[in-house]
Amino acid sequence: MPPEIVQWFQDMSIATAIRESALVFPVILSLHLTGMGLFGGMILMTDLRMLGITLTKHPVSDIVNGLRPWKHLGLTLTATCGILLLWSKAAIYYPNPYLRIKLMLFALIIIHAIVFRGVYRNVADLDRATVIPGRAKLAAVLSIVLWISVVTAGRWIGYWEPKGAPVNAAQVIN
Amino acid sequence: MALFLAYDVANNPLNTNEWAFPVCEVLHILGFAIGIGTITMVNIRLLGLGLKKESPADLWKGTFPWTLGGLALVLITGPLIFSSDPTMYLRNEGFRFKITMLVLALIYHYTIYRKVALTKTSGGVAVMAGLISLVLWVSVVFGGIFIAFV
Repeated sequence: MPPEIVQWFQDMSIATAIRESALVFPVILSLHLTGMGLFGGMILMTDLRMLGITLTKHPVSDIVNGLRPWKHLGLTLTATCGILLLWSKAAIYYPNPYLRIKLMLFALIIIHAIVFRGVYRNVADLDRATVIPGRAKLAAVLSIVLWISVVTAGRWIGYWEPKGAPVNAAQVIN
Repeated sequence: MALFLAYDVANNPLNTNEWAFPVCEVLHILGFAIGIGTITMVNIRLLGLGLKKESPADLWKGTFPWTLGGLALVLITGPLIFSSDPTMYLRNEGFRFKITMLVLALIYHYTIYRKVALTKTSGGVAVMAGLISLVLWVSVVFGGIFIAFV
């Protein structure tokens, strides 16, 4: 993407307002983290239930289907705030390699959802299964690995500095 | 006391090793996602918003070790992060707010909240218990982020 376009995004009035407000940026960042807090644990519980490690008293479908709308809500909150944060500092974040890694991980998460859609759609089959099939276990393990990687890459975004040009105080990314 | 006086933040591995601090932060985030995420599952049930096939008591028992594990991870990495610059944190309004809310949240969670989740409590009390829990834990997260902005 040409740098001018990224800069143009960052210079839009909403983006400037978010970036320059002493309150709005940290509030959006807090909501980004709150969203993670509200649904990150639920992703883990879903995956661990599918692996037969936790909440084994409850049918797999109860846990997976019961948590789904809440995970979607948390993801929507986290993603919306993430996009606003990215937009407000588009030109600053653009060259950041960890942002690119994070975006690639999201692409992998979408691929994961497509590849394993059968597992999640027919999750009631797991209630009757005596042994949880390998495919469902693989889906759960990969989900845990991918989401932990997303959090890790996300935190590393704040530690990268462009070579040569020192980052000035206004550009410090928290 | 002598040990405390001899402490020099400049020698703290968190400040000398490039990886130590961010690794602690990532574990801190994962810990609270697991801790607060599992607490939220019980909350959703207490508020009557979902997971209705399960009883609050069963959800409390099922998530208990994971909530405890997540909170333990937070309570190990938190003091490590604090040790990187104790004087700054102690002066920081965001940090003071966070710690106050955290202490309240922890006490509340393992006393009143636990009791409500484990006993068959009527709607109003359960909703109240869930709302207080949600507000306390979200406040802790907000306090944590604002450490870097106040």
